[in-house]
Amino acid sequence: MTRTPARGATRAAALALGVTLLAAGCGNGDDTGGEGADSSGGWTEPAQDLAADITYSVWDQTQVAAIDENLAAFNEKYPNIDVTVNVTPWGEYWTKLQTQASSDTLPDLFWMNGPNIGLYASNGKIEPITGEVEAGAIDPASYPSSLVDLYTVDGTQYGVPKDFDTIGIWTNTALFDKAGVDLPTGDWTWQEFQDTAAEISEKLKSDGVYGAAGGMDGQTTYYNTIFQAGGYVVEDGTSGYATPEDQAGIQFWTDLMESGASPSMQQLTDTTADQWFTSGKLAMYWGGSWFRAALQDEALAKDVTVLPLPTDEEQATVIHGVANVVAASSTNKEAAQALQVFLASKDAQQQQGDAGSVIPAFTGTQSAFTASMPDANLQVFLDAVAYAKPLPVSNNSAAWNALETDLLPQAFSGAKPVDQVTADLAKQMDAALAEE
Amino acid sequence: MSETVARPSVRRSGRARQSHVVAHLVLATGGAVMAFPFVWQVIMSLSTNAEVVSVTPVFWPAELRWDNYAVVFDRLPFLDQLKTSVWMTTIRTLAQILFCTLAGYAFARMRFRGSGVLLALVLSILMVPSQVYLLSQYQIIQGLGLLDSLPGLVLPGLFSAFGTFLMRTAFLGMPRELEEAARLDGANPFQVFWRVMLPLARPSISVLAITTVLWSWNELLWPLVVTTYSDEMPLSAGLATLIGDRTTDYPVVMAASLLAMAPVLILFIVLQRRVIDGLASSGMK
Amino acid sequence: MTTSTHDPRVVASPEVAAARQGRSTRSRRPGGQRRPPLRRDGVWPWLFVLPLFTGVAVFYLWPIVNTAYLSMTRSGPFGGSTFIGFGNFTELVADPQLYTSLGNTLVYTGIVALGIPIAVYVASLLNLPGLRFAQFYRVLFFLPYVAMPTAIAMVWRVMFNGDFGLVNRALGVVGVDGPYWVSDSSTAIVAVAIVGLWSSLGFSVIVLGAGLKTIPPELYEAAELDGASTWRQFRSITVPLLTPSIFFVTIITVISSFQLFDLLYAILGSANPVLPQSMSLVYLFYREGFVNNDKGYAAAVAMVIFLVIGVVTALQFRMQRRWVQDV
Repeated sequence: MTRTPARGATRAAALALGVTLLAAGCGNGDDTGGEGADSSGGWTEPAQDLAADITYSVWDQTQVAAIDENLAAFNEKYPNIDVTVNVTPWGEYWTKLQTQASSDTLPDLFWMNGPNIGLYASNGKIEPITGEVEAGAIDPASYPSSLVDLYTVDGTQYGVPKDFDTIGIWTNTALFDKAGVDLPTGDWTWQEFQDTAAEISEKLKSDGVYGAAGGMDGQTTYYNTIFQAGGYVVEDGTSGYATPEDQAGIQFWTDLMESGASPSMQQLTDTTADQWFTSGKLAMYWGGSWFRAALQDEALAKDVTVLPLPTDEEQATVIHGVANVVAASSTNKEAAQALQVFLASKDAQQQQGDAGSVIPAFTGTQSAFTASMPDANLQVFLDAVAYAKPLPVSNNSAAWNALETDLLPQAFSGAKPVDQVTADLAKQMDAALAEE
Repeated sequence: MSETVARPSVRRSGRARQSHVVAHLVLATGGAVMAFPFVWQVIMSLSTNAEVVSVTPVFWPAELRWDNYAVVFDRLPFLDQLKTSVWMTTIRTLAQILFCTLAGYAFARMRFRGSGVLLALVLSILMVPSQVYLLSQYQIIQGLGLLDSLPGLVLPGLFSAFGTFLMRTAFLGMPRELEEAARLDGANPFQVFWRVMLPLARPSISVLAITTVLWSWNELLWPLVVTTYSDEMPLSAGLATLIGDRTTDYPVVMAASLLAMAPVLILFIVLQRRVIDGLASSGMK
Repeated sequence: MTTSTHDPRVVASPEVAAARQGRSTRSRRPGGQRRPPLRRDGVWPWLFVLPLFTGVAVFYLWPIVNTAYLSMTRSGPFGGSTFIGFGNFTELVADPQLYTSLGNTLVYTGIVALGIPIAVYVASLLNLPGLRFAQFYRVLFFLPYVAMPTAIAMVWRVMFNGDFGLVNRALGVVGVDGPYWVSDSSTAIVAVAIVGLWSSLGFSVIVLGAGLKTIPPELYEAAELDGASTWRQFRSITVPLLTPSIFFVTIITVISSFQLFDLLYAILGSANPVLPQSMSLVYLFYREGFVNNDKGYAAAVAMVIFLVIGVVTALQFRMQRRWVQDV
């Protein structure tokens, strides 16, 4: 059952490369006690009798079943590598990781996301995958290129995505029927979206139903509209919020709330957009592909279909995905990298996809996802990869994410003019970026 | 020295009974307010996720889903984690009782150079955010080679400023006469403490026990940070893994937290009967 | 195992002795001397304190020293720091967030402290001789204290929901149009404080309950014979004799209220737009240290928190002499 993608052929090249990479790889961690880990920088496929105990840290309990399947397959090839999966809940995951990183006790292999990759990579906490790529064990071309870029920091590749998510509009067709509004075809402009949302809110007002909803989460809302307007959030260490494009992207949501198409900022804080949707009180919800899991087993699911996001200057959606990365301080790098390579393989990715909790990142392994709700047109999320832009991040994303959360609500609620808020945000964000 | 004190049960008068009407009214109303969120939590634990997150609250689920409780045992190594919780909590509680009564007694009843400064130092540790300790404690435990071990899990929690302060308050309020008598009989300070004073402090010790048990039982961050294996985590940490970053199965979380709460609640009921109330009527020694 | 009616705690407690001899407890303190007389304890006190203090020093005081040093550095997320003297503090003093969060913390502490008189009253009711169901009531009041914070915060969030929550429905019955509790900057901290009060009441009630057990019942009997009303008994016997426990509860309540973080985080949620106006001191610390990864600045915040709580606690110890009965 153990299938390994094209690896052997380039092993010699990798061996040669391994020597050069050794120096780079050893820079940060202590490579003292590795069990037979004589080469830790470059990559050669380890012997199948390699024995090691390694830890794999993740934050999502619901994916553990799929991971266990992966590990069973992995152990067929490497029976002596014992992998412990550690689940730390999202709320504490990063605090724990930071504590471990400060003490050089990071788990051998662990999940990484876009907002944090810069921080860990630029501080030398993560082992690059340059060796595996050069050796041909991981081929970046097999994954969405925008996510490959996301995990490239200062020209060095640190991981490839294990899964991805894009944004679409989850639509309650029953509410469209009830309001007597035609379901949009999906090829639509901002204005058409706004009009549709306002019309539904108007017609179903007595039921307390809204056409659409804004929100505080950039990934599912305003980052998308900023990209659609042709703007950017962060580029080359500067903020894009002062640009007219970004202002338009923010204005979109202000308009949506002002027209009454969306619940107010306060209502959306008390009851989040996804709750409005699952309660059958929201016709169109801008949400990630991950939302499918919340819909399964719900009565509502039979009325749900997905529409692509509307288009302004360009068509765009935010894409993000989690990557498996190896700790630079790992004392079992050989084994950890073997697992990293295995999890990135097409077979492992196919297993992940079939288990159904995420969209696997390896091209061509996603069919199980669309099949899970055959009538909901989940294909929208896969098609979006073609025009998707990666989640905006920098080396210390959290600092300016906090600024967005602090300032933008005033613009959405109409408490302050959009241009004033965005100018202020741009200024503070630039200051934060300058400190990175 | 000892005089007869009437048992509480005999102390009843018409007036007292009359005032009980007001007492019952206040306590029942207050108690209902206090307990209400739990009643709702119980209801949530028997609902579907859609009912829980519904915009318009569902006060009674369409169907009682007892299998939410079964799911908890599916998703978590519940019994292993329960065992860790029990061990962790027992060790910490016993240690805190020992260390805090000793120190609290010394601070309350003994004179020694620098006792004020020492007490202030001990109390000062209550005054910084608890996250301040995380990294240093982790690195000390790492240095001792105790990561992923029960000693590492319990060690920082063996010492409590709160407990010391509590016990100091308790000993301050105790009669000096017995102590002096024991001393005159030739008992050394430890014997005085152990034989005479400690038994008298039982009500406060039971308070310390309850608070320590609760704190330890619910502690989240430290156990999560120092443990790797899910079957070596305490329940509090295990429960937290049920809460996802994007979606959470709320009924299961509610069920799990109610299950985790049960042992502590039972302990409290036993403790308050045995120790707090028992003291008043049964007499000691 | 003699089941005697002798209760040494009660019999020998100084208030009792005083009361029995017909002295007012207040008069029993010449010159405010509360320390035990000087006595030769030699090495004993050190042996008593050493186990605790060693642990406290290693696991708590040492990290505080580390933090004090860190507060004078510019420090990244994974350590590695440069010394900058008091730079973080000068920056912090000019930071409006500090004052917002201090203000919120004070409001929160004030509201939660209202629970103390309530707890005194409830504890005294629970202690009424011969009260039926006292055990049961005690469990009810204790429930919130046992709660797992994250789960119960979820329940409260639902109750505080502006459109559909039970709190506003209840207010609606009496004709009050309730606010969006957790998403309105003027009420968010109040909502959090209500939950704080609710969850800390049980703790105060048990501590005070233990304190009440040391008040001799014959005091009440005597008062009753004199025809004193229940309220009068409460004011003249219960409260004065309970002051040491009340003092303890106050100190602990204030300290833990100043540490407000978990509850605020759980009830408001990390993406709440009113957080900047509603955050607490420890939230500010958390945000600077663990979100913005500015460990040096966060350490400075921690030191300020340390200082503020230290001063407030010291003040309370000072004022203690005015109102706490000598014991």
